[in-house]
Order: sequence, then structure tokens, then C-alpha cells
Amino acid sequence: MKPSVNEQSKIFWLASYPKSGNTWTRIFIANLMSAAGPIDINQINTGDIASSRDWVEQALGFDINELSHDEIDKLRPLAYQYLSQHSDAIGYHKVHDAYSYVGNIKSNIGELSSKTNKQALFPNSATRGGLYLVRNPLDVVISFAHHSGWAIDTTINNMGNSQQTFYGGSNRLFNQLRQHLYSWSEHAQSWLDAPFDNKLFVRYEDMKLRPFATFTKMAKFLELPSDEVSVKRAVNNSEIKQLQAQEEANMFKEKSNQAERFFRKGIVGDWQEILTPRQVNQIINDHGRLMTHFGYLDDDKKHIY
Amino acid sequence: MQYYRAFGLTIASDLNLEPLQSLYDNADADVTIFLGQVSKIGLENPTDIKPLCQQAENKHWFCVPDIARFYITNGNSIIVEPFENSDMQSVKLYLLGTCLGIIFHQRDLLVIHGNAVRFGDKAVIFAGKSGNGKSTLAAAFHQKGYDILADDLAVIDKQGLCYPSYPQLKLWQDTANKLGINTDELHRIRLQVNKYAMPIKAGFYDKPLPVAGLYILQTHKQKNIEFIPANGFEKFKPLKNQTYRKGQLEGLGLKPQHLRACTQLANNIFVTHLTRPSEGFKLDELISAIEEDISLKKMITKQQELTC
Repeated sequence: MKPSVNEQSKIFWLASYPKSGNTWTRIFIANLMSAAGPIDINQINTGDIASSRDWVEQALGFDINELSHDEIDKLRPLAYQYLSQHSDAIGYHKVHDAYSYVGNIKSNIGELSSKTNKQALFPNSATRGGLYLVRNPLDVVISFAHHSGWAIDTTINNMGNSQQTFYGGSNRLFNQLRQHLYSWSEHAQSWLDAPFDNKLFVRYEDMKLRPFATFTKMAKFLELPSDEVSVKRAVNNSEIKQLQAQEEANMFKEKSNQAERFFRKGIVGDWQEILTPRQVNQIINDHGRLMTHFGYLDDDKKHIY
Repeated sequence: MQYYRAFGLTIASDLNLEPLQSLYDNADADVTIFLGQVSKIGLENPTDIKPLCQQAENKHWFCVPDIARFYITNGNSIIVEPFENSDMQSVKLYLLGTCLGIIFHQRDLLVIHGNAVRFGDKAVIFAGKSGNGKSTLAAAFHQKGYDILADDLAVIDKQGLCYPSYPQLKLWQDTANKLGINTDELHRIRLQVNKYAMPIKAGFYDKPLPVAGLYILQTHKQKNIEFIPANGFEKFKPLKNQTYRKGQLEGLGLKPQHLRACTQLANNIFVTHLTRPSEGFKLDELISAIEEDISLKKMITKQQELTC
């Protein structure tokens, strides 16, 4: 049965743990929406990242710079609801936050309150659909380590840490709001459990190894052109070689300060060359159940990618 | 009621507004802040409705959960109803920030989200997105002996004069660390955040000054500090974009006046995009680079040539 779509909402969440194909997906979408040649990687604008301070503040209409992370979290659901219902067109918004629940705002602002004391950070009233991109954590570790300037072992520990955040510091202002990542498994599980219907889970490995079929499915889900010519053109214009060449010529603005470059290898199974057996075991210990769920391990714990 | 002077206005208030400069005689107030009842649901006929913020002509309502509800009218009145158990520090921050910003818009003044620093006989404004280092720069200039006119809100009238705000800089813990300022001796602006109020004892300039120019702070991944001046019509857009809470202007019905004010100001000042490395740069180098850029613009009379 086709899941119900909330037609009033204009937000598709492009959710993923970091380094799992989110940027690639947004570049694909931007190319799919543009009739011209390959889109400039520094000009992709499919929609603001959900954690954009400016985007959220714009919907609230008052300063949030001197509120704490927890105070801001309570306001984000209302902001998304407003932004989703007041956009002219459908937007595709990157999300690294886990699907989490935040405190409710006080009841004495009249109709805005709810009886429960928790609310979803991304409420159903704001959500048209959610595309979740998942990648083998054995490969995520390597890419995340490069991105963050962390050692592999530190990265493995961080990916197993339920308290892991992006922009969680409290001693300065960031242009992004704090994002709870949780552990890699908890992140994926949170989106699996998210209480809305219109969801699609896509593996990075399928985008890489079966691009046409996979990207066609994504385009259909995202209500974008999904004819063969459009999808093939957008897939070709979003090829890693194309992105690397652009990054070589002009620095990519989303590259972290710690990383040498953003579009590094973009391959499947790099872990086999890089990780030690002990590191592989630790990742499987931490995330084996979800790795099996997404088809990275078979029932005998054998690797598939 | 207590009386204060800030942003060129006399403000009467039911609430203590320290660090604003007190007035000891009960002058006619330009703006009055009352403690009173504010609607829980908003305005009667709003033209612009957001979940926690509503507007109509010369009327503005907003609600910050757990802190207070505010009702701002005609550029001269603010009614505030704090939530039970909310702390007055937080209420005051909203009165001196968002509320006054709305008052200035209602009074047709141009408000730039940025700091104003005195260079000779002029004010130079540093604007840019949150997190791009505006406050750090103002604090660094202050430390170097420059006078500060305003932190966070730079208010400019139709003659292009920038008005002094009040003698305080607000510093995040990281900024204080960078500048070697010990925060043990400072008060937090609110208990919930690691941001501190630093009184400016000397070095606050309390008279309006003509605006010489606007720097828009940006960051990039490269290692160099870059100055790109905007020319002609290019100056208008960044000026418009740096306006405090520009999204609200449409709702307030002030758009044409605002555009006219921006155009007029743009004709008379320099607008320069200032891009610094996002990491690994020296604040001293940035300050020196700005000083050099300003001296090249030759718009400012040097301090020693000023007559009092």
C-alpha cells in the first residue's frame, strides 16, 4: 500500500548519519532539477540544513542566540511546522540529527501546547517524507575519521557513543544548532522508528553499485522527474570524478577544516584495506544488529560489502 | 518608573534596565516599557502570523516560551508579561535586543545586526551572520583602545548617523579566552549560557557619529584575509541583507521606507566584504588588516585632527 503523504507539508528530510551520501544525494537532486550541465557543487541549494540557525530563527521571529541548546530544541518543532507550511515549493533538507524527542514548551501559551511532555523534533505536521541514507559503518568510520581529523579508534568510539553531537559546544555561537547524533546504530534505529509513513531507506552501496535503479527510486519518492533521460543525466553529472574535479579546481565550502578534501574516494569496501581485524570486530560488536538489518552482514555474520 | 538613555532615545521602564545609562531627571520618554498583561494568543487582526510572533501595522506581538510575552506598538511602547518563574535577566535581554530592534523598525530607523566602532570622526559597522566573529572583533578593537558605539545593534537614522547603544560588550567564553579576559570576574548574561557581560568603563563613545562604512564578515577555507569592496548598486543588497530581522519588515509594512533608507545610506558609505580564514588566523593580523584597509579608504579624519 502506498504510504500516505502529508500534502500540506513541503519538507522532505534527507536524513543520514554523517558521511553516508547526503551531499551526493543533494547534488543529484540539484542536477535533476537543473536542465543545464553539471551543477556547481558550491551552488547546490535544495533547501536549508535542518540545523541552520538562520532558518529556524527566521520562523520564530525573535533572537535565539542567547538561548541554550535545550531551550532552542523545544522551539524547533514549531519552526519546522511553520516553514513546511509556508514554503512555495517542496524543499529537500539535509538532517544529521537523530529522530529525537525534545521537551515541550510551557502550556500557558494557549493553543500551542500539547498534553504530553515530549514532542518530536521533526513533527509529522512538518514532514512530507523522509529519505534515510545508510552506509556500511565499516566504511563510514574511515570517511568520518578523514572528515573530522580523528584517529580511526577515536572515530569508532565516537560512533558507539550515545551522547555524540555536532555543534554541541556551549562556549561560542555556531551558525548551526546542536545536533544529537547518538551512536551510529541509535541514529539509524531512531529513523526506523520515526512515527510517520512516507519513508524510504536507501543504501549508499546501492547508489554506487546500482545507480540507475536506485536513483530512479529516490527520484520517484522525492516527487522529482524520474524518467530515464533525466535520471541518467543527473547521475552522470553527479559522478564522483566530476565532483572531485570541481573540488580540485575550487574548494568545496562544505569541506571541514580538518579534512584535506571532501570528495575523497567514495568507494565501497575501503575498510578491507584500512581497518584492522580488531577494529572490524569492535564495529560489529557495537552495530552488528543494525548491520544485519541493512544487509551488511548475513545471518552467519559474513560481510556482504 | 526609571529613566534611561540609549540609542539616542529616552526610555522609561518599570523594569531595571542596567547597563543602560540612567537619567536622573524624569525627561519625556520616547519609549516606555510597562509590566502588564499581554495576550496569550496574539493580535486581533494580524497581517503576518508565525507560531510565536505576529504583526500588524505598528503592532508586534511575540512570545518566548518560559521567558515572557511582549507587545510592541507605535515605536514608543513595550508591554511585557514575564512567565511565572522566568528570570529578569532573560526578560531584559529580550527587551534590549529583539524588542528595541522592533521599536527602531517602527520608528523607521535602519538597524544593522552588527557592532559599531569609532574610527576618528566616523563610525564603522561590522556585520555578518551569527558566528562569524562580530563580537570578537568589537572586543578586540576595544582592547586595542578603540571606542565602541554599539554591540549587536547598530541604529542609523536618515542622516546616516549611528547612535551609541550602552556601555557593555557581551562575550562568549571562547572569545574571552582568545582575548585573555578572565570571566571569573564577570556576570553571565543568563545562567543558561556561557556568555558574559563585560562593562565598558572607558572606551564607550556616547555621541552619534556619521557612518563611514560597513564591513560584512564572512569566512572561507582559504588562508588569506580578503577585502572585496562593493561598488554602486552592489552596495545596496548586502546592506539590506544585514538589516536586523529583515524578515519582519514586510510584516511591518515598512518595506519601501526601508529600501529607500538603505539606498540613501549605500550612496554615502563604503561597503566591503571582509573574508577571513574560518580557522587558524591571528586576531591581531585581522585587526591590522582592517586598520590598513580603513586608512586606504581616506574617508576618516584622524583622531588628533578632531576638535571637541
